[in-house]
Amino acid sequence: MDESVLAQFKQKYESLAGVVHLVSGVEEAAEVVASVLDGAEARRVALGEFPETLREVLRQRCAALGLEMVQPPYRSADLPAAIDAAQVGVSPAEFAIAETGTLVEFATDDALRLVSTLPRVHVGVVRAVDLVATLRDAAGRVRTFYQQNPKHATVTFISGPSRTGDIEMRLTLGVHGPESAHAVVIR
Amino acid sequence: MVEERYKRLYEKIAQALRETPKRAALYRAMKRGRDSRQRAIGALPGGEAFRDEVRAIKLRCQDAQDSLVERFAAKARQRGASVFLAEDGAAAIRYVLAVAEACGAKSVAKSKSLTSEEIEINHPLESAGMDVIETDLGELIIQKAHEKPFHLVFPAVHKTVAEVAEIFRRETGEEIPADVDAIMKAVRRYLRPIFLNADIGMTGANVGIAENGAIVVETNEGNARLVSSIPDVHICIMGREKVVATVEDALQMMMAHPLSAVGQSLTTYVTLMAGRSPLGEGDGPRQSHLIILDNGRTRMRKDPLFQDALHCIRCGACMNICPTYGVVGGHTFGYIYPGPIGIPWTAEVHGLEKAGDFAPLCISCGLCKEICPAEIDIPMMIAAVKDRDAETHPQPRVNRVMMAAEPFAKFACATAPLSNWMLRNRAVRWMMEKTLGIDRRRTLPPFSRPALVQRMARRGLSTVRNPRRRVAFFADLFANYNAPDLGMAAVQALEALGCEVVMPRQLGCGYQYIAYGNLKAARRVAEENVRCLAPCVNEGYDVVAMEPTATYCLRLSYPKLLDQRKEAAAVSGKTFELFEYLGMLEQSVEVPPSLRGRRVGFHISCHQRPLGGGRHAMEYLRRRGAEVEVIETGTCCGMGGTFGLKTGLLGYDLAQAVGEPLFDAFRQSAVEVIVTESSVCTIQLKEGTGLPVRHPLELLQNNL
Repeated sequence: MDESVLAQFKQKYESLAGVVHLVSGVEEAAEVVASVLDGAEARRVALGEFPETLREVLRQRCAALGLEMVQPPYRSADLPAAIDAAQVGVSPAEFAIAETGTLVEFATDDALRLVSTLPRVHVGVVRAVDLVATLRDAAGRVRTFYQQNPKHATVTFISGPSRTGDIEMRLTLGVHGPESAHAVVIR
Repeated sequence: MVEERYKRLYEKIAQALRETPKRAALYRAMKRGRDSRQRAIGALPGGEAFRDEVRAIKLRCQDAQDSLVERFAAKARQRGASVFLAEDGAAAIRYVLAVAEACGAKSVAKSKSLTSEEIEINHPLESAGMDVIETDLGELIIQKAHEKPFHLVFPAVHKTVAEVAEIFRRETGEEIPADVDAIMKAVRRYLRPIFLNADIGMTGANVGIAENGAIVVETNEGNARLVSSIPDVHICIMGREKVVATVEDALQMMMAHPLSAVGQSLTTYVTLMAGRSPLGEGDGPRQSHLIILDNGRTRMRKDPLFQDALHCIRCGACMNICPTYGVVGGHTFGYIYPGPIGIPWTAEVHGLEKAGDFAPLCISCGLCKEICPAEIDIPMMIAAVKDRDAETHPQPRVNRVMMAAEPFAKFACATAPLSNWMLRNRAVRWMMEKTLGIDRRRTLPPFSRPALVQRMARRGLSTVRNPRRRVAFFADLFANYNAPDLGMAAVQALEALGCEVVMPRQLGCGYQYIAYGNLKAARRVAEENVRCLAPCVNEGYDVVAMEPTATYCLRLSYPKLLDQRKEAAAVSGKTFELFEYLGMLEQSVEVPPSLRGRRVGFHISCHQRPLGGGRHAMEYLRRRGAEVEVIETGTCCGMGGTFGLKTGLLGYDLAQAVGEPLFDAFRQSAVEVIVTESSVCTIQLKEGTGLPVRHPLELLQNNL
């Protein structure tokens, strides 16, 4: 793990009004998520498709907090309302780009995209080993994803919270998507 | 008689000039855009080199366009999308209406798409009974205000917070204070149910990737994510020029677009979408329709003068730097596509007539080409639009007068000092304003007899023995007819460094023909000058030009005008700026610090930007001990060659409005004298700032 790449990611992501949390493992990651949920006074949380260990830890945490959870498998009939009702969305990022302060999300179900778009707060979770230095470094992973998914597939580059400067060029966050964005980086 | 279209244009300019707060807001926005871009590029490892990469990709993909579009369409179909190749806007609209009817759609939520605006799709959808809602905040404001976008990237940049609050108060019935955050919250509440319930989501695409059939959609707000994920039907309308070959190509575009627009590294959300994903488990079939629009693009690709316009990535940078756009804005300087690149695009997709309505606003400073991420020669395309337009709308008299600058200067020089007396006479100037259209407030530089060409001829052969270099001197009109002493000083400076200097037969550079759009005349001048200079170059002479615009012509415009002909390329390759050349020769020479203690403000003439941005002259002055500071706003001084000499709104008045911020910057600086190499910028800056303005050589001579 290249510390300078990590430092660059943190610097860039935070310059985009995001918050970076460096944690040592899944337990600590769940800790951070819990504190964000608490800060957002969340009653309902939307979870993305996590690898098993992290999924279990997060579920337990959210259950302990007494939160309603929307999680895979999502029932089409409940959507998009079920995710729209969540105050916080928590989802994994496939990898992250230091140069641009970007979390990259892979999805073959549009419900996953809503987890990182509809709630006011989004938490993206990424492993530090999945940090790449430059935008160019993303090409290989994106290509592979499309090769592995010959039908529908979506890749989203997310760099901080939803923003606009459309009124008098004044920067404002959260016009449609999240007004606050967190990146939890697990070493 | 003033033509109807000019009357309309004058009215719009007059109104824009009156609206001072709007103008100030626009100026701030444009300046912020170009300053942020400049800063971001400064921090980029390769700096401006990203433009070469964008251009290389665009050239490669344009060459292979037909096969790339075919491949892209095939891949997208394999992934489950329906692809429709639309010949024109009408075909695209018919297709969309059929899709809407088939799914019984009542509402369409759109994210920003210029291509959908190009074909004006909202109206037919509304006529078919659908609600059409723009979800990009800027576009929504414009839609609710029933206006057209003011700027490509910032469509509502001219609206104040108070005006926007009022628009949404009317729309929602809520009590919304004139506060950006409050408006934002109200907009979020207003749009959320629209996102959740729309039947059709419509987007454009910034890029299409042939390799995998994915479209790329960039937004900062995230609205495109919502309209492309929630509704059962997603329709994307994209121009066929947007298709690139590989993921790597797409990444380069994703980077270049926001960088060039506002100095951002990526837009907040960049989505690559292929096929149509379900929304949760048990979801029924969902549709994705890709409409690949031609609408004149194939014809454009076959037109050598316009094909480069297809490289446009819609970043809006040319608008941010355009001096007159920065004063009048996109409602005056544009049809649907605004700004400099809007002129060739309008000509090709909406017709020459509409492009000709605002093309006269271009003052041919050339800055749009210097900022364009794809290095599109926009100024030459605009010249071609003006040229073609002149076939049906004859040039106004004042433009014909300006294009006759050379015979006028020659005559005035031959009749000096009488001509000078006349040019100072108020009655004569009043007459000149009324009949020729030259503004009487302008102080025209006096003419001096004999002209430089005659002085050089009388002087006979160069007296330098065993010359280090041989120079063919290119004077242009000002040094030849108005300032032969200055021209002679340049010759002597070259000789002092061991050059043999000759002044071959030559015309003025003829840039005015490009500026007003008479390409036949421009080619004739180019041909003649190349014919005179090429033999010198063949014999080993270097061409040294004094006037930035002349250097620009010899180096960049002539090869283009003469289809990259061998002789033109040879002259171009051997043409130097005066101070570039002197600097090369001076490298090992000790120079006395004759300008020590002098504090000068340097003005970079626009045509100098691609020639080194005044670097050579500044280094020349600094080597002599002067303290040189560049004073700039990042755009033109407003003069635009002879544009600022013309009287009225399409001349002096607009030139002053453009120049004001630069005049202020000079006045607020502590410089004692302004230095510039351009003879026309000199007039504008002298009058605008009241400060003395000198050519670098004058500064040395008089040491004023």
